Amino acid sequence: MNILEKKKVPEFMAALAADYDLYGPIVHPDSKDVLFDRAADPGDIALQAPIPYNPAKIPFFPQRESILGYTYDRSTGDVRIAPADLVRPKALVGIRSCDLTGLLCLDRFFLGQEFVDDVFRDHRRKTFIVANTCVRPFPQCFCVCTDSGPSAREGFDINLTEAGDVYLVEAGSEKGEALVRKLELPAADEAQTALKDKIVDGSIALFDEVSRENKAWISRATNRLTTGFIRNEVWEYIGKQCFECGACAFTCPSCSCFNIEDLNGPDGTTDRCRTWDSCSFEGYTKMAGDHNPRRPVEDRRNKRFFCKLSYSQSRKYLRPGCVGCGRCVRVCPGDIGLPTVVTAIRREITE
Amino acid sequence: MNAKTETAIVTVPEIAVVDEIKDEIDEVKTFYFRFVDEAAGRNFRIRSGQFIMCTVFGAGEFAVSLPFSPENDRLHLSVRSVGKVTRALHDLKPGDKIGIRGPFGNGFPFEEIKGKNIIYVAGGIGLIPLRSSIVHVLQHRDEFGRILLLYGARTSKDLMYTYMIDKWLKTDGFETHIAIDNPEPGWTKHVGFVNTLVERAGIPVKDTVAFVCGPPVMFNAVIRDLLKRGLKDAHIISTLERHMKCGIGKCQHCAIGRTLVCTDGPVYTYKQIKTLGEQI
Ligand SMILES: Cc1cc2nc3c(=O)[nH]c(=O)nc-3n(C[C@H](O)[C@H](O)[C@H](O)COP(=O)(O)OP(=O)(O)OC[C@H]3O[C@@H](n4cnc5c(N)ncnc54)[C@H](O)[C@@H]3O)c2cc1C
Ligand code: SF4
Ligand code: SF4
Ligand code: SF4
Ligand code: FES
Repeated sequence: MNILEKKKVPEFMAALAADYDLYGPIVHPDSKDVLFDRAADPGDIALQAPIPYNPAKIPFFPQRESILGYTYDRSTGDVRIAPADLVRPKALVGIRSCDLTGLLCLDRFFLGQEFVDDVFRDHRRKTFIVANTCVRPFPQCFCVCTDSGPSAREGFDINLTEAGDVYLVEAGSEKGEALVRKLELPAADEAQTALKDKIVDGSIALFDEVSRENKAWISRATNRLTTGFIRNEVWEYIGKQCFECGACAFTCPSCSCFNIEDLNGPDGTTDRCRTWDSCSFEGYTKMAGDHNPRRPVEDRRNKRFFCKLSYSQSRKYLRPGCVGCGRCVRVCPGDIGLPTVVTAIRREITE
Repeated sequence: MNAKTETAIVTVPEIAVVDEIKDEIDEVKTFYFRFVDEAAGRNFRIRSGQFIMCTVFGAGEFAVSLPFSPENDRLHLSVRSVGKVTRALHDLKPGDKIGIRGPFGNGFPFEEIKGKNIIYVAGGIGLIPLRSSIVHVLQHRDEFGRILLLYGARTSKDLMYTYMIDKWLKTDGFETHIAIDNPEPGWTKHVGFVNTLVERAGIPVKDTVAFVCGPPVMFNAVIRDLLKRGLKDAHIISTLERHMKCGIGKCQHCAIGRTLVCTDGPVYTYKQIKTLGEQI
């Protein structure tokens, strides 16, 4: 473990900015909203800011992205296919453990199954991650219920933990160690090293008091979804509450549904674009002749929660698909964020 | 392309030339194609029952079955024009190029059904995905028992591949029963929905597997009647269809219950279908 003095943070950011585009939590100057975004200036990244409204998947899995480009001249028969090579090296700075766990979910999903998503792979290969331990949870957090925080255990190049005037620095990879060496960060002494566990324990202890908005004790709900049977009325209730706005999926760090379209540009090239999509949209499964195997809205709701709490377990992420960030609660106009649904399922069990 | 290798680039299509286009039935055409790169052609090994993602340049991509048999059969697709991309495909002329990704999906379980009788039950263009299986089975005629095709369509003009059926009928031990939904002048064969053929044809039940493919209403009626006749649900095989976008298990458009049609399917047994927990 090493030490980064707070006054040296700009130097740290500058060193990263030399090799990478920087992304991180940025406080909007007028509204004070925190958004995860590309930093025009390394100094814009606000390590102390609360967790951003939007998820950290954005640099790897942008809302809209060209995954292939081609031109076809029908008169000459000339086809040129160019895999999109727009991937730039990126550093994600100050991402919270919940978001990082969401990213690891996406890694398993995009890279670890039968087929590899090569576009996502390119993004991931050119990434540097600086995680940031939550020394104090935020009101909507429940990562302690989903085993994804408040401190990251894997998947980072550097992990920072705020401790008074300094950050405790842990390197999690060769790349991270190289940066520590380059900046000649001093080694932590024994007392400082021991501080890390205390800080994390202290943060966990604060959950009762601070993170009062959500609780989602998901393991019983997961068990019930996977092995048992949930009364249809529960799904109907959830279905009726849903406005099909897709906001839950778009703000979730581990949601990955997407659509693909070929879009023709004015210069004769075509972009094969992928855009975020959501299994709660009615058109998601629509087929020819207006056949829609998943028409009732409760079928679609049921799908998302099965995915998060059950399917994800067994084959996609090897862990729950929810990482406890609480974003879906904040955005859902129908008040069916994941904790509400878990509560509805648990209530059914106890009834 | 099914092995998990780090370098498997499955997002980039291989280029092929359409060298012949044949009108089949109303709105359905068959497109014969060959790969521009000969090596790509040699590497294109399929299993019967698999599908590909076909790019119509400038329009997009869609999922389509491979109706040819894996062995010495011309490469082709039979496609109904239903929307944006398939309409653009129908506008192509011989010499135009298309893109091909795949093959994807699991394929039919031929090893497990050796020695059995086979009944094919198809409705309308549901015969397209079954064609590769029929041709394959007829090429290995001695490995199977009775082979029976029950085929129905709305009208006689909606019957696919009738010229092929005539050819298949010349193979020993291949029988077929054909039906249309309503009477037509000059029609001498059966009239009624295709499931009524199950009753009529006196199908074998012992050591028999059925391949069923067609629109959802037909599918449900056929399954019901096959089960009534005593077929086991593990011996009813079908290929399912879903709106597909990526073909490689990522976009989730083709999810049914816990499975993805593009990677777990498109071939399922009815025993599996029953547990999917969603409409077909
Ligand atoms: C495994 C598999 C094998 C298939 N094999 C064949 C085949 O051999 N021949 C053939 O003609 N078609 C086949 N299809 C169906 C074909 O993929 C669709 O007809 C095609 O995607 C429609 O594309 P489009 O852009 O022309 O239509 P769009 O403009 O996208 O849509 C037109 C309408 O078709 C719907 N649609 C989109 N995808 C599908 C789909 N997969 N199935 C049904 N409706 C859909 C849309 O929701 C819309 O209502 C197969 C589908 C799958 C999944
Ligand atoms: S959910 Fe946990 S890791 Fe995420 S911001 Fe809140 S406390 Fe931090
Ligand atoms: S389901 Fe909701 S709380 Fe869980 S990770 Fe997604 S957005 Fe966050
Ligand atoms: S945010 Fe709420 S209302 Fe919107 S799609 Fe998600 S569950 Fe439905
Ligand atoms: S088509 Fe994308 S997951 Fe099956």
